[in-house]
Amino acid sequence: MVPDLRPKLAFVLFLSVCAFAFDWQILLPLIALVLLFPFALPSYHPASDRARHLFFRFILFSIAISGAIIVLNGWILQTGERVEVLPGISLFSDGLLFGVRTAARLLLLSFSVLLFFSSTPIPTCINALQQSGLPRTVVLMLLLTLHFLDSLPERINRIFMAQEARGAPVRAGFISRTKAFFSILSPLLLSSIAESVDRGVALELRGFLLEMAPSAKPELPAQPFSPLTILLLAASFFILVISIARWLLP
Amino acid sequence: MKLSEQFTKETSGAAIPFIAFCIALNLTVGQVTSALKIPIYLDSIGTVLTAVLVGPLAAATAGALSNLLASAMGSPTMAFFVPVSLVIGLFSGTLARRGWFKQWYLVVLGGALQGVLAAVCSAPISAYLFSGVMMAGTDFLVLYFRSVGNTIMESVFYQGLASDPVDKIITYLIVFLLMRNLPRRLTGRFAGAANIPSRSA
Repeated sequence: MVPDLRPKLAFVLFLSVCAFAFDWQILLPLIALVLLFPFALPSYHPASDRARHLFFRFILFSIAISGAIIVLNGWILQTGERVEVLPGISLFSDGLLFGVRTAARLLLLSFSVLLFFSSTPIPTCINALQQSGLPRTVVLMLLLTLHFLDSLPERINRIFMAQEARGAPVRAGFISRTKAFFSILSPLLLSSIAESVDRGVALELRGFLLEMAPSAKPELPAQPFSPLTILLLAASFFILVISIARWLLP
Repeated sequence: MKLSEQFTKETSGAAIPFIAFCIALNLTVGQVTSALKIPIYLDSIGTVLTAVLVGPLAAATAGALSNLLASAMGSPTMAFFVPVSLVIGLFSGTLARRGWFKQWYLVVLGGALQGVLAAVCSAPISAYLFSGVMMAGTDFLVLYFRSVGNTIMESVFYQGLASDPVDKIITYLIVFLLMRNLPRRLTGRFAGAANIPSRSA
């Protein structure tokens, strides 16, 4: 039985709509709420120790970036009241407010999307995609991308070290490093095309590309929408319509 | 020919694993550029490779999936730029079909046009949804243009015009050089083998 991911997706949609519809005073409590979810709700616990580590590291990183966005806007956009932060260093209120608004929006968007992916294992996502009727070629593409994403950094590192051992100027001046970029990318592309051809032949031999007979297609039971999903979707739709109307009408 | 038929034709045989590799390349090429400390992004190099070797629909798919996966991997704003990736994939695929990847000067012109098109498509998304702030190095350029009196929309558009054409010209030239040097026995298995430049180009 594939777990129903629709309530979680509806929650991400709801938070994304809120991020665009509301001002920072409402977004900050929502951000705090999202940060509490991994501790409070079992369905939002990080799927693995690695996911937990990456999720919390990203939170610290994005909070630091948001701080930088606020300070830079307050420093460069010199309109509004002058606020002296340190002796000789002043920021401006309009820039600070603009920075807080955009940072709050970006933080809520980032945290809601990452909350979904850190708490949902990849196989569950893939199963859910297949169940939703996504073509199997696209599902296979996604699975193979995950395989390549896992192996590419190691391959790049191996080629990088091999080229360095051969005397390629991978750490020399700018022009030499730019030339070295080709000496890394060419073998990477060549080996990947060769692997693609091999995998393509394997797929053809296993009949993957043949049209599947209707009787051979797995019958997946249709799951009804849960009341929570319907409530979240309706709330998102309502907030979206009201915001568009407020934006269009003076 | 229907779009679904064309997509099926493009994604036969070795194309599916190759598109997957190109999506992963879009997502990881940043590691190479940061390891070599060169000031370019090349985040659509996989999309353009797919466009030349496979076709426009496959390239649009590769671009869209790259953005969605990037969104899942810690850059959530990327999902909102899926339309830009679709345009990049379709445009570069169409240019490749018309033989623009066979001569270096057409490649440069195509990259410049692609850059302007990408800037035009991404500016409204960046300005209206994110007020021009993308948590990236290009935010400094947007801030600079705003500080000299431009609106957010104008600032984002000027930033796009300043950085996108250069990035896309370099991306197109890299793809052109890579394709020119690939062995024919490998590239011949793809639908876009006829789009590849010869070594004398």
